Amino acid sequence: MKKFFKNLLLFFTYAIVLYLLFIILWGELMPPFARKNLNYSLGAYGHMHTRLQEVSNYNNIDILFTGSSHAYRGFDTRIAESYGYTTFNLGSSAQTPVQTKLLLERYLEQLQPKILIYEVYPYTFEIDGVESSLDIIANGTIDGNTLKMAFKLNHIKTYNSLVYGCYRHLLNRDKNFKENTVTGEDTYIPGGFVERKITNNADSVPVTGKKTEWIAIPYQLAAFEQTVTLLKQKGIKLILVQAPVTKQEKEKYTNNKQIDDYFTAKATYYNFNNFLNLSDSLHFYNKDHLNQEGVSVFNRSLFDIIKNY
Amino acid sequence: MFFNSIDFLIFLPIVFLLYWFVTKKNLQLQNILLLIASYFFYACWDYRFLFLLIFSTLLDYFTGLKMGTTQKPGKRKFWFWLSIIVNLGFLGVFKYYNFFAASFAESLSFLGIKTNFWVLNVILPVGISFYTFHGISYVIDIYKKRIEPEKNFIEYSVFVSFFPLLVAGPIERATHLLPQIKQQRVFDYSKAVDGLRQMLWGLFKKIVIADNCAEYANEIFNNSAAYSGSTLLLGALFFTFQIYCDFSGYSDIALGTARLFGIDLLRNFAFPYFSRDIAEFWRRWHISLSTWFRDYLYIPLGGSKGGTLMKVRNTFIIFLVSGFWHGANWTFIIWGALNAIYFLPSLLRNKNRDNLGTVAEGKYLPTLKELMNMGITFALTVFAWIFFRAESVTQAFQYIRTIFSQSLFTMPDSIAFAHSQNNVLIMILLLFFFIIVEWIGRERQYAIAGIGLKLPRMLRWGFYFFLIFLMAMYMSTSGSAFIYFQF
Repeated sequence: MKKFFKNLLLFFTYAIVLYLLFIILWGELMPPFARKNLNYSLGAYGHMHTRLQEVSNYNNIDILFTGSSHAYRGFDTRIAESYGYTTFNLGSSAQTPVQTKLLLERYLEQLQPKILIYEVYPYTFEIDGVESSLDIIANGTIDGNTLKMAFKLNHIKTYNSLVYGCYRHLLNRDKNFKENTVTGEDTYIPGGFVERKITNNADSVPVTGKKTEWIAIPYQLAAFEQTVTLLKQKGIKLILVQAPVTKQEKEKYTNNKQIDDYFTAKATYYNFNNFLNLSDSLHFYNKDHLNQEGVSVFNRSLFDIIKNY
Repeated sequence: MFFNSIDFLIFLPIVFLLYWFVTKKNLQLQNILLLIASYFFYACWDYRFLFLLIFSTLLDYFTGLKMGTTQKPGKRKFWFWLSIIVNLGFLGVFKYYNFFAASFAESLSFLGIKTNFWVLNVILPVGISFYTFHGISYVIDIYKKRIEPEKNFIEYSVFVSFFPLLVAGPIERATHLLPQIKQQRVFDYSKAVDGLRQMLWGLFKKIVIADNCAEYANEIFNNSAAYSGSTLLLGALFFTFQIYCDFSGYSDIALGTARLFGIDLLRNFAFPYFSRDIAEFWRRWHISLSTWFRDYLYIPLGGSKGGTLMKVRNTFIIFLVSGFWHGANWTFIIWGALNAIYFLPSLLRNKNRDNLGTVAEGKYLPTLKELMNMGITFALTVFAWIFFRAESVTQAFQYIRTIFSQSLFTMPDSIAFAHSQNNVLIMILLLFFFIIVEWIGRERQYAIAGIGLKLPRMLRWGFYFFLIFLMAMYMSTSGSAFIYFQF
């Protein structure tokens, strides 16, 4: 029995060391298609690299935006500036409450915002958050909060990418990486906003999909509620916002009222789908993202409300 | 609780430590611990059906005792049939009621009679087909006076509910497992290490090969009408590997886990895709079920002792029942019938026991004839799996029609593979790696049992590390339950 446990311990020790080594080797030598569960994409996913580089230049801002792609593509920092606000947009692709919590724990002290506008896209409460975790690992710093997030998600892709990310950060392998301001049809605007000036919506023809019930993952709800508590403790005004989406997207859930009720109970909440009348073909570039025209209408409406606070 | 879950990763070491350290010298305590662990394992899936399992255990235990205490044939017969009818009754209600009700209603509507049968909206209790068969074989063995009834209820309950085999087999026999449960177990280092090795290979088969193949197979079978013949053929091939690696992977983990507790379970798979004919395939596929049907159905029916007609009849009966055992769907019955048709030629020519050994024994490569025979057997198996996997008979025929159309000679539809996070090339490489390892290890109990045993420890371990790494890098993250849980 003693021999069994001794060898087992030895085996697992070697296994862990070799696993770390193999991950690094695979990450260095294999092309992306050959490393299925190791996804380390510098600069991918909506300019997150530039955003997280730039955030260190900001502090004591009026408004901090956070949320999914609806946030970084929906809250234009230039329009906010025209209303006299200093802002930063910390939104990122498929950002779920787990990542929002991580980013706030990391940057709230430094940014000291007076208001936090949290874009709450119901879908992000239903997904595991792995995609966004990979984005944050590859493009941001790796700290204790990143580790906590990895354990929370408990997903092999997050673990593998974290190991590889640690190695790259330790050896400073990404120091020369420079993300282009313009990638495809996207332009990064200082302050974290990403602009897309497409006027036609390829998804404007409504797809009659089956309606589903919104069922949030418990750990996402828990992370969201912890964020609400954290903001209360810090005395930061929290405003929850649902950014406009197209009709088909809006009617995706059978329990929209339950969603609205949930967020209303947590903080000041505005669902812009309920009072902004946007055109699916003129104001969006796909089923759930506003084009610049749509952003302009949405933001003016939002800041007209905010200026009363 | 699945074998490939974090829950099991926590559960197993706890039970292992308690088993060997806390209850180590007391057999009764060890068995009580195994029983509690098994019931906990089962209750993690759905605690309500635990009562069904306990009832089934109590029923067979008491009817067994009753048969053992009386010598009157009439009474013995009564207790025997009581157990069989109640056991099959539960199986019938939970597994087959809706099928029979719907089939009967359809037949009547064909005759112009409209009926409105109740449809039971019940979940199939996981493992019911397996533990029911445990109980039935036990009761038959007592009735036939092959064994004495077990008097110790705990020991009998462990035989029925031992957690590694509880939900998907192997289907054990009282003659094999009960003596091990009754015997003092001593920790055996080699056995425990062998168990861990078998678990490792089983896990690799499940999470790397089966689950990744499932991503393609599911996409292609679920949208078969949209794809070309060549794509559907690939879909059938992916399912062929999926079902083997899923079920044999489960069995490997079950056997390995049991070995950690000093218990040997029946072997369930013996490299079936290296079979040279269908008879050999059935000696190598789901062995515990095939032998169960052989001993408790085929032989009592007369086996192959009678005339040709009797042989044919008995062969069809066991294959049809075997198909039906898998589920209440005509697709399984046709799958069974198809295998009976495959099996008949060798049976009628008395060639069904031609290939009892392992292919290319002691050699690196098979002969051309062996290769051809393996290829033909594999192709027949792939064809039969189409019925097994299809949602309906109509879909299966449509699927086959498309395969045998001109579109078989076109390039496979790339869109069928785009939904998966896998890269097809990587998947093919993984499959090649898997087949080579299985081929190298085909003369052993499981593929990696003998790999590197003569090499220095670090080299041997290097291979295991590589398997662990492949799992971390290529395991499917979509995660799916073991296919045989539904049976």
